Amino acid sequence: MQLAWGPEEEAFRAELVAFLDEHVPPEAAVGFDYADSGEREEGDLIPAWARAWQAMLFDNGWMIPAYPPELGGRNCTPVQTLIYLEEMARRRVPRSLHFPGYAIVAPSLLEFGSEQQRELVPAAIRGDTVWCIGMSEPNAGSDLAGLSTRAELQDDRFVVNGQKVWTSYAMAAQKCFCYVRTDPSAPKHKGISLLILDMDTPGIDIRPLRHISGAANFAEVFFTDVVVPSENLVGTLNDGWRITQGSLAHERAGLWVEGVSRLETTIHGLIDLATRRGLVDDPMVRRRLAELYERAASLRALGYKGFSSFAQGSSAPEHSFMKMATSELGKECWELGMELQGAYGAVVDPERGEEQGRWVTGFFMSFANTIAGGSSEIQRNIIAQRVLGLPRAT
Amino acid sequence: MDFTLSEDQELLRDTARQLLARECPTTLLRAHIDDPTAADPLWRHLKDFAALGDGPLTDLCLFVEETGYVAAPGPFFPTAALFAPLLAALGSDLLPSVLSGEVTGTVAMAGGDGVWLPNDDTVKTFIPEADRVDQVAIVSAGPVVALVQSPPARRVQTVDFTRRQFEVEVPAGTGPGQPLDPEALETVLERATVALAAEMVGTARRLFDMTLAYAKERVQFDAPIGSFQAIQHKLADMALDLERATSAVSYAAMAIDAKDADRHRATHVAKAAAGAAVKRAAKDGIQIHGGIGYTWEHDLHLFIRRAYASEHWLGASDWHHDRLADLLI
Repeated sequence: MQLAWGPEEEAFRAELVAFLDEHVPPEAAVGFDYADSGEREEGDLIPAWARAWQAMLFDNGWMIPAYPPELGGRNCTPVQTLIYLEEMARRRVPRSLHFPGYAIVAPSLLEFGSEQQRELVPAAIRGDTVWCIGMSEPNAGSDLAGLSTRAELQDDRFVVNGQKVWTSYAMAAQKCFCYVRTDPSAPKHKGISLLILDMDTPGIDIRPLRHISGAANFAEVFFTDVVVPSENLVGTLNDGWRITQGSLAHERAGLWVEGVSRLETTIHGLIDLATRRGLVDDPMVRRRLAELYERAASLRALGYKGFSSFAQGSSAPEHSFMKMATSELGKECWELGMELQGAYGAVVDPERGEEQGRWVTGFFMSFANTIAGGSSEIQRNIIAQRVLGLPRAT
Repeated sequence: MDFTLSEDQELLRDTARQLLARECPTTLLRAHIDDPTAADPLWRHLKDFAALGDGPLTDLCLFVEETGYVAAPGPFFPTAALFAPLLAALGSDLLPSVLSGEVTGTVAMAGGDGVWLPNDDTVKTFIPEADRVDQVAIVSAGPVVALVQSPPARRVQTVDFTRRQFEVEVPAGTGPGQPLDPEALETVLERATVALAAEMVGTARRLFDMTLAYAKERVQFDAPIGSFQAIQHKLADMALDLERATSAVSYAAMAIDAKDADRHRATHVAKAAAGAAVKRAAKDGIQIHGGIGYTWEHDLHLFIRRAYASEHWLGASDWHHDRLADLLI
């Protein structure tokens, strides 16, 4: 057991810090607030500065540090990767404003794609190609394997019909990583395939969906007789389900850093808010703030502990714990921010509410975090069944 | 930043686990309710580990997590986690015989309010095992420390049978005592607090393990109750609180060993997180056991009792949250 990072790790951090000090664009310095604020409009989903910043990270080997230089990295070790994620989160600098390409498509294609498909990877990571993921459907949310968008193989092409929903970045995307049913008679996990679709193919209709916060960064996507060449099948026919588990495996053990750093920023914001509102000497307010801090601090320790096991070759079941706990705790923090404002808690009028309605807006946005990417209930199922070894319901 | 155990630490933990599983069964805990000498054979094994009281806190925490798992009674915790570090801070000649397990001791500091801060109260409270240890170190305002042999001790009955609490009247004629650097005393208390948090994590893990095993074997509606989502989600929440408390304790122990600036905050975080974990494990544990868990025969209550008594000793969760707030705001 050891608390500090070693000198080599700190030298690595210093190199990253020097790069960030010199190159972070001013818009990215407020990155997370910007990305979260719901202020972006449809036409400006991925602004020019964000595209340039992602390309610069790629060209300098700072986009996915564990990858080799030709994939935007520098062959970093797991510990270096964690330090990278830690430093980016501490500074609240996003690497990209569209995660599907670099975080899901790239690793999946590297593992399962044909030689020709793997050529798409550098542009996906550099952000030159924007990707969306066609997964959720109106009747396939938590039960993703129940998806019903059909693809029929006719000679050397698939014909796709159906509908996706909650498709992030569909309006900005050139390509879609689309899960389709290719064998309706097989058990539901066994009849799914993965196709690459060009978003300008005739028959694709994109209808932006507004969040409850007012932002529109996702959409419904309708497919009507969309023709897809058969070489766009990723992996084997009817074997697409196992690719849904694809993610940056070497970053999975460090994804919690961003969630925990965000919580810490929010809690410091709450202390400032309580101070401005004259509530900072109220014993119950102090106790609640300390309790939130205690929970965030213990989650940071849990994240490091899970990472330590991962770096030594064990699996990291902490991911489900961290996903559930950081999203639930975040919601409580935003709600407390509203409570601290009393009658003004629900005010979004920038001239009257605290910080332009930051707390009520943050609270509304935080609903998504306990739903998207596997709801808290699904995380509890995963913990119970995969970590604790409890039997599935019969 | 490395939370994994060294080979020596794994050996220490495994040794403790095997020893305590053998030497501290729940039959011993039950015999100890009416006869505290029932814990004496256990002490003859644990005294070999008293030297942990003057080593890295990370090692002591590994060990007391295991004593918490079996709710070990007797003088080990007060001797190794309170008395020995206090003697070390004083530079006392008595320390070697304590570390070798020849001399046992406990510490008296809290006054009438039960708060572990130096004070002038003449009655000290919540002193574990005060009637059966060789020495009681009485800490008073200053801070100053006086060592007293076998002062008259009155039992304070708590819900817990496994850790016996006492109050002691400071004997008339007790000298002014030896002065102690306030920061050194703070470190002694922080070590003891984190060690208690580690012990509580062990108790929480025991409650959790018993409950998880029961959920897998108990059949109702023709299925193990652990296949029901209502039960699974309770167990997932218990596991989360347990995991984060375990990690917070390791972090705090490392921070204290490294004299890191974060150690004061980390101490309060560890005790409060351990409190949250052990209380949830107790409440949801008995709920999942259903009626059988509410019987005297079942062992669950022995650990629930220890859980709540530990939560309220050396600062309850609220007290630590309030101190933490003072450091944050």
